[in-house]
Amino acid sequence: MTAFLGGLIQFFIPTHLLAVAALGLLAGQHARPTRADMPGMLIAGLVIGSAAIALAMRETPAASVLLVLAAIAASVVVVARPTPPSIGVLLAFGIGVALPLNAPPHEITIPAAIAAQIGFAVAALATFVLVTVVAMQATRPWQRIGVRIVGSWIAASAILVLALRLAR
Amino acid sequence: MGRLPIVFAALLLATPALAHTGEGTGGFLAGLAHPVFGPDHVVAMIAVGLWGAFLGQPAIFLLPIVFPLVMAFGGVLGILGAPLPAVETGIASSAIVLGVMVALAARPPLWIAAVLVGAFAIFHGYAHGRELPDGANAVAFSAGFVIATGLLHLTGIAFGLLTRWPAGRLAVRGAGGVVALVGLAYLGGLA
Repeated sequence: MTAFLGGLIQFFIPTHLLAVAALGLLAGQHARPTRADMPGMLIAGLVIGSAAIALAMRETPAASVLLVLAAIAASVVVVARPTPPSIGVLLAFGIGVALPLNAPPHEITIPAAIAAQIGFAVAALATFVLVTVVAMQATRPWQRIGVRIVGSWIAASAILVLALRLAR
Repeated sequence: MGRLPIVFAALLLATPALAHTGEGTGGFLAGLAHPVFGPDHVVAMIAVGLWGAFLGQPAIFLLPIVFPLVMAFGGVLGILGAPLPAVETGIASSAIVLGVMVALAARPPLWIAAVLVGAFAIFHGYAHGRELPDGANAVAFSAGFVIATGLLHLTGIAFGLLTRWPAGRLAVRGAGGVVALVGLAYLGGLA
């Protein structure tokens, strides 16, 4: 249980929140064809990313990948035009894979590490669903503009930190 | 009812600070506070919202969406150390120009307004980009200061909604004049 909660808490860092919030806004903003497959692909990505941790011998550029994907997803939200469903699916899968790679578990035993990864995935999915549901409720014009404004904030933040990472 | 005087007293007791001081602190709250405590930045951001009220739709909604993205571009230039002359002059000028636009209730074509605001956004973003702290808190700091900037726009837009009434229109134009004066004070080295 401690490992599960540890993994759950490990999710809540700004980079993860930016990426998953952008993905949630994208899912909530777009209609069914784009939205339908995104949770499944996020889960698939989380599973594959968790499995890939065992193979990752050194530090991966997962944080930068997450920021790039967050910036792309948020930019799609800002544009607010119909997008091919494949874009949402690819972003969900990419973010799903990069999330666990950016926060490998610190547990010593295999069962504890698995529990931590499950906790991490639950936190990621819960955040995704929460943001998606909130964005889906935004049906009035000013509410939809609000979603786009939040998208622009996420994109701007991600772009700034990416530049910082590349420059220093 | 009784809380209001306490809030104002707390505001008066707050230590004054300027934006662009070069402090390298990180964290969401530090980022949130960074633009808010720089009067030159605050008045310019509020003026963007006020001007949006005079420009009407779609500018009133487009500006707060587009501004953070253009500001981020300026921030990238600052982070990369690209040369941009007279940054502080550009920021003070943004307050003057935007304040005058509000004071005159100017309604130029949308593209002119967008180019003007976008150009100033680059100066503001550049200044913040130079001071973005490195390390683990960079994401939280960036999110904080982008959100603070956005909230200042929304404050300006909310105040700008007073233009629906004749007296409110006068008040908003007056606020534009104050913004221009603050910009002049910064440009003249008086603030």
